[in-house]
Amino acid sequence: MTSRLTVGHVAARVLTFVILVVAAVAITAPFLWIFRGAFSGSDAELYRLPPTFHAENLTLDNFGKVTEQVPYFRFFLNSIIVSGTVTIAQLITCSTAAYAFARLRFRGKGVLFAVVIGSLMIPIQVTIVPLFLVMSKIGMTNSLWALIFPGIFSAFGIFLLRQHFMALPYELEEAAKIDGASRFHTFARIILPLSGPSIATLGILCFTYWWNDLLLPLVMISDTEKQTLPVGLVLLAGRFSTGSLGTIAAGIAMAIVPVLIVFIAAQRYIVQSIASSGLKL
Amino acid sequence: MTTNTHPTTRPRGDGAAALAFLTPSILTFLVFVLAPTVGVLILSFFDWNLLSDGTFAGLDNFKRLFTDERLLGVYGSTTYMALVILAVNVVLGLLLAVLLETRMPRWIRAFFRLSFLFPFVVSASAVALIWRFLLNKDLGLVNYLLGLTGLDRIDWLGSSTWAPISVIMVNSWKTIGFSILVYIAGLQSIPKQLREAAIVDGAGAWTRFWRITFPLLSPTIFFLVVINTINSFQIFAEPRVLTQGGPGDSSRTIVEYLYDRAFGDFDLGYASAIGITFALVLVVLTAIQFWFSRRWTHYQ
Repeated sequence: MTSRLTVGHVAARVLTFVILVVAAVAITAPFLWIFRGAFSGSDAELYRLPPTFHAENLTLDNFGKVTEQVPYFRFFLNSIIVSGTVTIAQLITCSTAAYAFARLRFRGKGVLFAVVIGSLMIPIQVTIVPLFLVMSKIGMTNSLWALIFPGIFSAFGIFLLRQHFMALPYELEEAAKIDGASRFHTFARIILPLSGPSIATLGILCFTYWWNDLLLPLVMISDTEKQTLPVGLVLLAGRFSTGSLGTIAAGIAMAIVPVLIVFIAAQRYIVQSIASSGLKL
Repeated sequence: MTTNTHPTTRPRGDGAAALAFLTPSILTFLVFVLAPTVGVLILSFFDWNLLSDGTFAGLDNFKRLFTDERLLGVYGSTTYMALVILAVNVVLGLLLAVLLETRMPRWIRAFFRLSFLFPFVVSASAVALIWRFLLNKDLGLVNYLLGLTGLDRIDWLGSSTWAPISVIMVNSWKTIGFSILVYIAGLQSIPKQLREAAIVDGAGAWTRFWRITFPLLSPTIFFLVVINTINSFQIFAEPRVLTQGGPGDSSRTIVEYLYDRAFGDFDLGYASAIGITFALVLVVLTAIQFWFSRRWTHYQ
């Protein structure tokens, strides 16, 4: 500690921590409240003011009711299938394309890359109508494919990985080339193993985006059984609601817990990935 | 770009390999990005409701844009909400990120950082549902806390003044962690020696912030302005779940309006015209930001 601890310094430090603690409470309290609500035996208890952690009839019933009201595990499975498949497919298409843009020489490369960057400007919200028509033309609406295919191409992903690949030293590849390794071999055995963090970055950003998306499933899917979790929650709170708030709270809590577990387990990567995505401009 | 530096000295290209590497992206791009983009352009010149055959409508859909009073209102509410969300993210995010730089034990810093970021990874519909409870006029925790301080209850979701503010609060609450994290990364890339030198020179914290931190952080601020503008103009889930865009159109966003025209009224041509003009607005906004940024961003 410095020797010049004046009253002003102490006050500034106290104020800093007060602001940070208030912000942290404001951000975490709603989650604590919903978790507590998920265990409430009655709506009166859930809405009791002020809220208390103590409860006279703590119950697990709400979780069972969630699965009775809506096909909750189906939603969950659908979300896993969609986000998982999109992520794997996006990692394949983006890494191969990024490698071509970063390392290969071919005609039209500049134009093609400009097209990729240009497509960043057109969000899916704008093209959602014809996208729906394309999907119904090839008979994919109302199936999980309608949620998987539109997510596979990612201009952002190609851009992110290209920047990382370009930063890798050339020497390793030159050595492999002299040994007669093919382009694919170089890519799979040299570039990819060196790109773990940036691949993980893209994987995490991609997975969370598609795990949370509400618009595409609302547009593409009409069968309840084929919906994903975000729509499932809206259905649980809306059309399929029995009016029990505890059940809705339990549904939300069940949707958050897996995210929380992944978040805590992968926090280092998540922090790194978002931080690095912000340094690219 | 490095590729164009030796066009003549490198006669042998990797065309075949490049094609193989690019095929998966090109195919998905053509079908799921390019085709819908061309489609939205074509559709905007037609009058079509999915059931009957479409009829060519010329510029009618675009003319309608200018006479649709609701659209103007929705642009107004979208812009209002987007700009406030942008300001909260950029200003409050910077404040919290700078405060997080204060000396503190590592695990406390990690705790703050993670709790700020957590809502960002939770789905917007879950977030909006939680806040629908908390902002309930009669039973919600927020009004209870207001009551403790002696203030009147606020009709957060049911009044046209407060509904957009609720959307702003909930979206900012969800996204600010992202901005904070990007700021932290930006702050960490500022060389320590610069600030230490300023301390030796006797510069106070305020001067150090405005003379050193702020200019060196300007590329990060610029990045966040661009990203947050694009994201906040495209909000859909929060108003959809919190307020259904109402009351009236007070908390309705363009994407929600487009969604309702397309999949509520099946007015596909008009929805496409809305989509195209909206994309143009985003492009112009981004271009303006890039243009202005030359005046205030400072690259090392």
